[in-house]
Amino acid sequence: MIELRRIGFSYSDGATPVLRDVDLSVEDGELMLLAGPTGVGKSTLLGVIAGLVPTFTGGTLTGDVLLDGSSIIDLPARERAQSIGFVGQNPGAWFVTDTVEEELAFGMEQLGVAPATMRRRVEETLDLLGIADLRDRDLRTLSGGQQQRVGIGAVLTTHPRLLVLDEPTSALDPTAAEDVLATLTRLVHDLGVAVVLAEHRLERVVPFADRMCVLGADPAAPGGVRVGEPADLLLTSPVAPPLVELGRAAGWNPLPLTVRDARRRARPLLDTLGPPPPREAPEQVNRVPAVVAERVGVVRDSAAVLTGVDLTLSPGTVTALMGRNGAGKSTLMWAIQGRLGASSGRLRVDGGDPHQARPDERRTRVGLVPQNPADLLYLESVREECAAADADAAHARGVPVEGECAALLERLVPDIDPSTHPRDLSEGQRLALAVAIVLTARPGILLLDEPTRGLDYTAKHALARMLRDLAAGADRPDAPARAVLVATHDVEFVAGVADAMLVLADGEIVSSGPVDQVIAESPAFAPQVSKVLGTGWLHVDEVTARLRDRLGGEGGTQ
Amino acid sequence: MRVPRELHPVAWWVWAIGLAVVASITTNPILLGLLLGVATLVVLTCRGDQPWSRSFRLYVWIGVLTIVIRIVFRVLLGGDVPGHLLFDLPSIPLPAWAAGISLFGPFTREELVAAFYEGLRLATVLICIGAANALANPKRLMKSLPPALYEIGTTMVVAITIVPQLVDSARRVRAAQQLRGAERGRLGRLRGLRRILVPVLEDAFERALALAAGMDARGYGRAGPATRNQRRLTGALMLGGLCGICTGVYAVLDQTAPRLLAGPMLAAGCAAAVLGFVSAGRRVGRTRYRAARWAWPEYAVAASGLVAAVTCWIALADQPAMAHPGVIGLPSVTLAAVVGVLVGVLPVWVAPPPLTTANRRGAGPRADARLDPKPTERPTVRQKARTP
Amino acid sequence: MRRPAVLAAVPLRPRSVAVLALASVVGVIMLFWPLVLRVDPGATERVDPPFLFLVLLPLILVVVLAEVSEGGMDARVLAVLGVLTAVNAVLRALSAGTAGVELVFFLLVLGGRVFGPGFGYVLGCTSLFASALLTAGVGSWLPFQMLVAAWVGMGAGLLPRRITGRAELAMLVGYGVLACYAYGLLMNMWGWPFIAGIQVPGQDSSELAYVPGAPAAENLHRFLIYTLLTSTGGWDTARALTTALAIALLGPAVLSTLRRAARTARVVRTDT
Repeated sequence: MIELRRIGFSYSDGATPVLRDVDLSVEDGELMLLAGPTGVGKSTLLGVIAGLVPTFTGGTLTGDVLLDGSSIIDLPARERAQSIGFVGQNPGAWFVTDTVEEELAFGMEQLGVAPATMRRRVEETLDLLGIADLRDRDLRTLSGGQQQRVGIGAVLTTHPRLLVLDEPTSALDPTAAEDVLATLTRLVHDLGVAVVLAEHRLERVVPFADRMCVLGADPAAPGGVRVGEPADLLLTSPVAPPLVELGRAAGWNPLPLTVRDARRRARPLLDTLGPPPPREAPEQVNRVPAVVAERVGVVRDSAAVLTGVDLTLSPGTVTALMGRNGAGKSTLMWAIQGRLGASSGRLRVDGGDPHQARPDERRTRVGLVPQNPADLLYLESVREECAAADADAAHARGVPVEGECAALLERLVPDIDPSTHPRDLSEGQRLALAVAIVLTARPGILLLDEPTRGLDYTAKHALARMLRDLAAGADRPDAPARAVLVATHDVEFVAGVADAMLVLADGEIVSSGPVDQVIAESPAFAPQVSKVLGTGWLHVDEVTARLRDRLGGEGGTQ
Repeated sequence: MRVPRELHPVAWWVWAIGLAVVASITTNPILLGLLLGVATLVVLTCRGDQPWSRSFRLYVWIGVLTIVIRIVFRVLLGGDVPGHLLFDLPSIPLPAWAAGISLFGPFTREELVAAFYEGLRLATVLICIGAANALANPKRLMKSLPPALYEIGTTMVVAITIVPQLVDSARRVRAAQQLRGAERGRLGRLRGLRRILVPVLEDAFERALALAAGMDARGYGRAGPATRNQRRLTGALMLGGLCGICTGVYAVLDQTAPRLLAGPMLAAGCAAAVLGFVSAGRRVGRTRYRAARWAWPEYAVAASGLVAAVTCWIALADQPAMAHPGVIGLPSVTLAAVVGVLVGVLPVWVAPPPLTTANRRGAGPRADARLDPKPTERPTVRQKARTP
Repeated sequence: MRRPAVLAAVPLRPRSVAVLALASVVGVIMLFWPLVLRVDPGATERVDPPFLFLVLLPLILVVVLAEVSEGGMDARVLAVLGVLTAVNAVLRALSAGTAGVELVFFLLVLGGRVFGPGFGYVLGCTSLFASALLTAGVGSWLPFQMLVAAWVGMGAGLLPRRITGRAELAMLVGYGVLACYAYGLLMNMWGWPFIAGIQVPGQDSSELAYVPGAPAAENLHRFLIYTLLTSTGGWDTARALTTALAIALLGPAVLSTLRRAARTARVVRTDT
């Protein structure tokens, strides 16, 4: 139905092309998954299909895009709207109107659909997506999953034959993501809509994909793609869900794509592996907890967001904070930071009430990286940001500070050009810059609010390593051990980085403890490896390490 | 029983402008007082519970302030109306370059009354406009703009939508900036503003470009059916119309110019401009979902304003003593003028009851959801892990 | 073939320029009617402020806006316009509470500078209109405020392009100060006959009131004294100061932000 022929794209003349000679075709009723590391051009490719690239990004596009055999490359996005529906990365930012119902009608109004037909299609779409009870809701009050479904509905009403989605589940908690994916499968099966979607969280989408297109698979041919069956491509893909990594480690062929497949094949592997690795609690001897909360309640805009939170954070540990969107994770972080005061209970950070501390004291005790790290940045180059951070730190610590922020940044992410505009950095680099700025004041406690959004597996590995180093105080010779708290939705990331885990729901901690215990209690938060091998196993690295031991050992005896 | 709904915003504006026209052609305090009563009564019975509904009080205050300012000005600048002396302030003559004007001086009761009448007229015009502000939904008003203004209307809707986001964004950035040091030194506050303004602006632009991409991808701004000739016609009509208006306005002011160039020319210019405007709208090939309808209540409300304006215009045309009563005796009114003003109270009976939180469909989520911090969906932790 | 197309925010075709010019002439006459008015010496009737203009000016503004956006407005321009309008409206609403601090013109001048005269004109109109909607300030004064603000925005867009760097900033500060006083003066011109009153032969009058039929120079004299007494010393100067300060301190950062937004929207498409 839609066909890309020898598509090439670069942002400016002479720059390395983002896409080169891309050939891709999608048939009716097919679900095509785009995968690849960050910055490899997934969103660009989707934009080319929808007609938004290069209009909105600038750059040079070559090649041809065909819809049912006729070229549409010169048609702007608005003229493609009736056949191609595009849902962007953050549908909340795309809403034009106020209410769900008006939003669903907006596209049809633009296309000049007759009012009676509009009325009927809105009702059909509300039912199809299961959002009929939301019809009068203010769009701003919707949860992430609801927003995503309304965003899909808003393009569906014009009856497009192809749906293009950019990371539909990346920002969602596991259950909301399942709802969205169920909706998509229903569209593909019942209506025969073709779907092209890009996603970082492959573990969620791979089971639903008919075919897969991997970008950046071949280092020898940058900008090229590989298209084929998911099971074949994932053998060599540079990005792979943990399940596939497990399959690769165990040498399974064909690769399992669902947890069910993998479970069936896991028995012999479990025999080889033996008992799960012992998990020693991080040494807490001689360590005074950095943060202690007892029945802490926080009221925000006259609504009780936290009702009774108990927690302890110790230096040297990484703690993961999980829970549904809106459960109060950010509020808890801001309370520990000290900007929000506890309305009840007792909260002690380094022995003092953080809300009573002066802003400078707060910064030297607790470093918080907010959900949107760009909020911290206001200058025009990385160099200026670092200099400002040094000056601030000097003021807060009372000693001259020079070059510390830049040095930290260099350790976290090497080779950032200091004259880059902070807004032009990639998500991962921008996060690292924010972390460096916050750490320049040398806080003993580090809080990160959803740092994993928009990061691919490689970047998440790097972040995990960075957080472990920071917790252990391994980033500087004289660095102390730090307490690190990370709010995230990403269970796989948690499995790789955290010692302890807290689950927050409805303003209370509903489960807490070492990661494996919490996962055993709450299967919804289990990473894929645990789903296959049991709760003792959290991460592929553990499996590969054990396999290396066992097989290496066997090799030695033979 | 009448079903609660929002009356078309344009109907309210027509009604209010009708009343404002009445107010603008008279300084008779009895008629103006009646008008104020009519406007207030209609606002109190017909307004809903939206944020803009509360703006009426503000307009009343502005009206009161207008009258006070008028009177203060009279006291300050003095006057020369003879009559009952209220108080006498020492007169301060200004230097010669100020055209021999003197400040303060004696102040008479007649002067007070004259200033009050003038101020009351302006205040009444303002309060009539305020009534429209309180009654008409501004967003729906923007959506009811004629097709030629579709882009501008959309910009306004986008702007009105962005405002609450901006406030949220500013609050978030302010909190985030606390994580770094504060600006110190002189002008630190203004520089501190930069630390908020820049991220908020960047953020807003990012969102706005995303929004634009979204709108574009959903068909916004598709080429309409207008041909080259139609566009030429549009241009000619607009230019011609503006020329006509330009001449007309000048002729209206220069009373020695031929009268043919005043009223008729102005009317012709306006007609051409309006035609050009309509013609410009034909390029737009869009439809409206559940467009705000004009049913009989809309016509009745709009008509009541127009009838009031026309009746009073006719009633006052040959009665300068009633339109602008002197300051000596008591003002008088005729029955026709009073009836004309009272027609404006019709919306109290014909307008449908306003939408409120209580009677809105789906009772409440729109208003209540913002107070509820957690979307009430389902328990977080599912009892059984679903295999993907 | 490659044809680079820069973000032409609101392109002004010759026809649009003609419409803008005509509308500006009408606007000037409507603002300065007390000076233009010539009374028939034989007439004795009383002179009323021409309330007709309050209806006419919105019509003219609407025609100009329709003309400027004729042929469709790019979604990106619309988004940028929406953002700047919203920010301006918020700034105005915020500054309305603090006496003397008036921040509307600061962003209007910078926006006009970066995105051009057509954009500046529309931004002036939409900013004032949005802030009126927000702060419930819709009234008979609004069309005139929109018109004058539109001129301010357009003027900023017409400033010479070649000047850059510190000179550009100095120029913008100077223009901002000028625009603030001009805005105050023009709005006073509009309000003068209403506030100071119109002299009626044989009846009351205050000494600064407008005298219909008097020579234009004499009325202008009266008006200038009125405006000097009422606003130039206080309100207008405070506004000019805050605007100048805001442009000088926030200007560089905001200019670069706006230019980044303009840059993102730049397109080079190859036809193959």
